[in-house]
Amino acid sequence: MGFTHTELNAAVHRAAVAAAQFESELNAADGKLGDGDTGIMLRRLFERLDAVSLPHDLGDAFKSLATAAAGATGSSLGTLLMTALLAASHRLKGRSEVPWGGLGAVMLAARDAMLSRGGGALGDKTVIDSIDAVGRAIDGLDDGAEAKVRSQKAANQMLVEFRDRPCRLGRARMFGDRSKGIDDPGMLAFTRLVEAVCGEVTSR
Amino acid sequence: MNAADDYVDEMLDGLCSMHPALVRTGSNGRVIARAVGAVKGKVGIVSGGGSGHLPLFTGYVGEGLLDACAIGDIFAGPSVEACMDAIRAADGGRGVLRLFGNYGGDRMNFNLAGELLEGEGIELTTVLGRDDIASGAENEREKRRGVAGIIYAYKVAGAKAAQGADLQEVTRVAEAAVDRCRTIGCAWGACQIPGAAGPTFTIGDDEVEMGIGIHGEPGIWRDRLKPADALTGEMVARLLEDSFVKNGGRASVLVNSLGATSLEELFIAYRSIASLLKERGIEIVSPLVGHYATSMEMAGFSVSILAVDEELESLLAAPADCPFWKV
Repeated sequence: MGFTHTELNAAVHRAAVAAAQFESELNAADGKLGDGDTGIMLRRLFERLDAVSLPHDLGDAFKSLATAAAGATGSSLGTLLMTALLAASHRLKGRSEVPWGGLGAVMLAARDAMLSRGGGALGDKTVIDSIDAVGRAIDGLDDGAEAKVRSQKAANQMLVEFRDRPCRLGRARMFGDRSKGIDDPGMLAFTRLVEAVCGEVTSR
Repeated sequence: MNAADDYVDEMLDGLCSMHPALVRTGSNGRVIARAVGAVKGKVGIVSGGGSGHLPLFTGYVGEGLLDACAIGDIFAGPSVEACMDAIRAADGGRGVLRLFGNYGGDRMNFNLAGELLEGEGIELTTVLGRDDIASGAENEREKRRGVAGIIYAYKVAGAKAAQGADLQEVTRVAEAAVDRCRTIGCAWGACQIPGAAGPTFTIGDDEVEMGIGIHGEPGIWRDRLKPADALTGEMVARLLEDSFVKNGGRASVLVNSLGATSLEELFIAYRSIASLLKERGIEIVSPLVGHYATSMEMAGFSVSILAVDEELESLLAAPADCPFWKV
């Protein structure tokens, strides 16, 4: 069996638990160059998403999540997440199940939508670099358990690979070389969420 | 405060309780609008942004100014939903100008709100405040961020709309005010978002940072604290170097507290700025001194200079009435 609204429901709940668990870590990471509130924002956002009753149609389910996100936050990271949810909604409209091997393509569609909305590019050291890496790592992979392993590995590799690069977008770009050696809080948040979600996702 | 999660909503409740001409509206109550509703037949003007900057991005709603404002969490953009609600609240049937600071989240959300409102028949235009000269070089003005000087665009656009001008004219004068306004700030004390890990930046007790942004974005230099006249001298020099006015001409000046800086200190700064401009033959019109765009408890101030022409000067002098600015 592939990915259905049951798995989506469980993933959102695990993400909500993780967002609360990692709130302080993400605030501290954001506090190095930013306002120090990424953890607060994500905890509040996923509280709202976790309260959504998801329809069986995956397109409608992702749209319900995007709608909730649209009212929950206006932060750049939150809006990019909402954009990703909308892209998934468009791609999965009318489907109640998607094979595990199709999830990579959904993530890559979300990546493209986020790049278009945010005006950034791959390599800018943002959450989109992490999503790109995970999407490519699991694209076409029908083994859910293996996809789980590769997702976590790809997200963590991106975090390490980009750590010593400068941020090139948003407020962090203004710090130039001072952003080297520091994790982008969006990339770190995504990695923590992937670890939480994939830690329990089952392929059958 | 009571609880970090309630900080913004309780602030908005208090604001509207004291000022009944303002109401909270929108599906999450994150829009401040005129209690009388949209003015039929008038171009609407909306703004929006993160909380924590009162009165900016919240309080300039009223006659001759904004019609509605979308409210975000502290230092975070307003949600897409709030942006849509604000646009609808401002719509009097002749189109709506979106006038907000040049920040990534705000741009994404107001743009997305516009796309989602397609089909509702509301004509929309956009002008981005980008007066902070420390946030981008002169040849990269499109990257600069909007800070205190955006209130001049609120004022002239609001006055033009109140005169019955159409959307294109209202947009034109707002763009003119943005083009002719420059701001620079400095700070010697940080602020902290309720619930955040720590202050938005750290700075020594005896240090000042020139060019710092309203969220603590890095400035141009950091050094030992200097006397007020030394700071204002450098700020005026940097503004004029980048400005429409250099020698001679007329300009409005805004000396703004970033939060913790007292009126007494602002007037010490104004005294010096007025003298420096006089030396350059620049006549000050409609000056402003006070808390117009803050960063909660940040200690510091900003200086904005708007080079006026006849039209902008007349629009600045036109009647306006909101809790934080009356003409």
